Amino acid sequence: MATDSTVLQTDSLTKIYRSLFTPVGVKAVDNLNLAVREGETYSIVGPNGSGKTTTLKILLGLIFPTDGSSSIFGKPISDLSVRKRIGFLPEDAYLYDCFNGEELLDFYAGLFGYSGSRRKELTDELLSLVGMQANRQVPFRECSKGMRQRLALAQALVNDPDLLILDEPTSGLDPAGRHQMTRIILELKRRAKTILLCSHFLAEVEEVCDRVGIMYRGRLIAEGTLAELGGEPTEIVITTEGLAGPQADQVAGHPGVVDVQDGSVRIGHEGAAQLWSVLEAIRRAGGSVVEVLRPRPSLQDVFVRAIREDTVEELK
Amino acid sequence: MSPVITRLILIIGLFIVGVVMAVTRRLWAPAVTHAVPSVWRIAKITVAEARRRRVVQAVVILVVLILLSMTFFSYLSPEEQSRMLISGGLAAITVFGILLAIFVAAFLIPQEIENRTIYAILSKPVRRFEFILGKYVGSLIILGVIIAIMTAVLVFVLVIQDRLVQDLPDSAFNPNLKAVIFAAAMNYCAIAVLTGLIILISAISSTTMTVVGAFILWAVGSMQSTIHDLAEHASGASRLLLLVLYNVVPKLENFDFRHEVSNFMPVSLPGAMSAIIHGIGYTVVVLILAAIFFNDRQV
Repeated sequence: MATDSTVLQTDSLTKIYRSLFTPVGVKAVDNLNLAVREGETYSIVGPNGSGKTTTLKILLGLIFPTDGSSSIFGKPISDLSVRKRIGFLPEDAYLYDCFNGEELLDFYAGLFGYSGSRRKELTDELLSLVGMQANRQVPFRECSKGMRQRLALAQALVNDPDLLILDEPTSGLDPAGRHQMTRIILELKRRAKTILLCSHFLAEVEEVCDRVGIMYRGRLIAEGTLAELGGEPTEIVITTEGLAGPQADQVAGHPGVVDVQDGSVRIGHEGAAQLWSVLEAIRRAGGSVVEVLRPRPSLQDVFVRAIREDTVEELK
Repeated sequence: MSPVITRLILIIGLFIVGVVMAVTRRLWAPAVTHAVPSVWRIAKITVAEARRRRVVQAVVILVVLILLSMTFFSYLSPEEQSRMLISGGLAAITVFGILLAIFVAAFLIPQEIENRTIYAILSKPVRRFEFILGKYVGSLIILGVIIAIMTAVLVFVLVIQDRLVQDLPDSAFNPNLKAVIFAAAMNYCAIAVLTGLIILISAISSTTMTVVGAFILWAVGSMQSTIHDLAEHASGASRLLLLVLYNVVPKLENFDFRHEVSNFMPVSLPGAMSAIIHGIGYTVVVLILAAIFFNDRQV
């Protein structure tokens, strides 16, 4: 549902790839309705071939929809005023490989009409933001994957965009690189940028995103905040020490306890009212309580569940 | 029609165009104001990229060496030597200039799409026609510089050779350097037209298709009079095909003044002007088509 604060919107967006060998076509994006609000970090997650990158390419005007429409800041992407306000980080960082970071940023800044002195300032600022100051003269082709990704992010930020579209920003990065990229995205989020992010890395999505849309076979099969998608916590997990053998069996038989395994006592959602009596039972059985958690399902759980449900639905 | 009337029509035509442009300034000025810097930026990066390509550097060095080595043909008479140097030098400039045009221009757009570098450009405030025009202008600049270097080397060779043989009693070595430069400039015009056509093909197809297409167009464009003669004697579908080729493919041989210059014959300036005007018109149409097709291309 679009509101006044909607920055990006798609209406029944559909993309069918047709070729000589597939005249019927392959539906890459199927009737997609998406709305990203101002200031939020929205992530599209989905397995390979689910239509995430195709959606981004349509939004950016690189390919054209078979049906439906999309708008950014209430205007079509063909409007240059829209493109002045967005930044795009393509998957796998494709930039001119014979130029170094300094030259690349100068070029991309020039496309926004900045003067020479402003371009120089921007280049310095952005290289510093992405931690590439020391490697500013290294040609793109000689950069490591992490350096390339950081330069690609810098070019996406060259116009201080209001909307940032990131396609797999941490793809192919090592854990340190992923951490650094996540840190930069969080910093941009702190600066109230609207971010649309496509990613495979669900842990990273969980860390940075306000809302998530799960795409599968070109369709948006689930959407919402992590809490909305995951629902209420379904159990309480008590981590204990010194609980084994007959003492563990004693606790396992207590009302509300679902399972006792490797020192972890699980209480079902219905047995939540029994928490205090279970804790007392653990103490009486000679165990000590280390931690009590009421975990929500992870995005990974939500993702797998949503895809499984959709597949079952499809089979029906 | 007398030349005076022709000139008068031309002046009145230019005046009308000027008035229309001035009156409609508000319509086109904002687009042009935005387009010029974008086109220039893309042209500059195209030049910088081409300049760093090893194959371009290698071909330029090879041509320079070929031109310099031509001074060693001292067993020929001065007149023959002069003819050979001018004809051979201009031929080298034409052939290698065209080859470079194909290898510079044919790769520009398809490679941007294949390497996906185009994503970061078209997501910025750059219109697709500005991208096409920037690539074309960039190609023209780099090819212009290369042709200028080759021509300078040829002129240098001719001057050196002139100095070497001027003391000989029957020396007829007296190259018309202005005519040589003129012929090289006309070669450049032919290359500019062909480059526009290459940009059109590359806007709608892959690198391989563009390279193959460019070679075919070069061959067809360089023997248009032969194609015209063949069309005169052909019939049916083959005649139709030959007539289409004759009318659609640019007449590159109209830009070729090697024969006149190397044989010290007078150059037809109206012929050259006509070729240039046709070339400009043809290139404008071709670039408009390239922009239209590229506008709908999925990248």
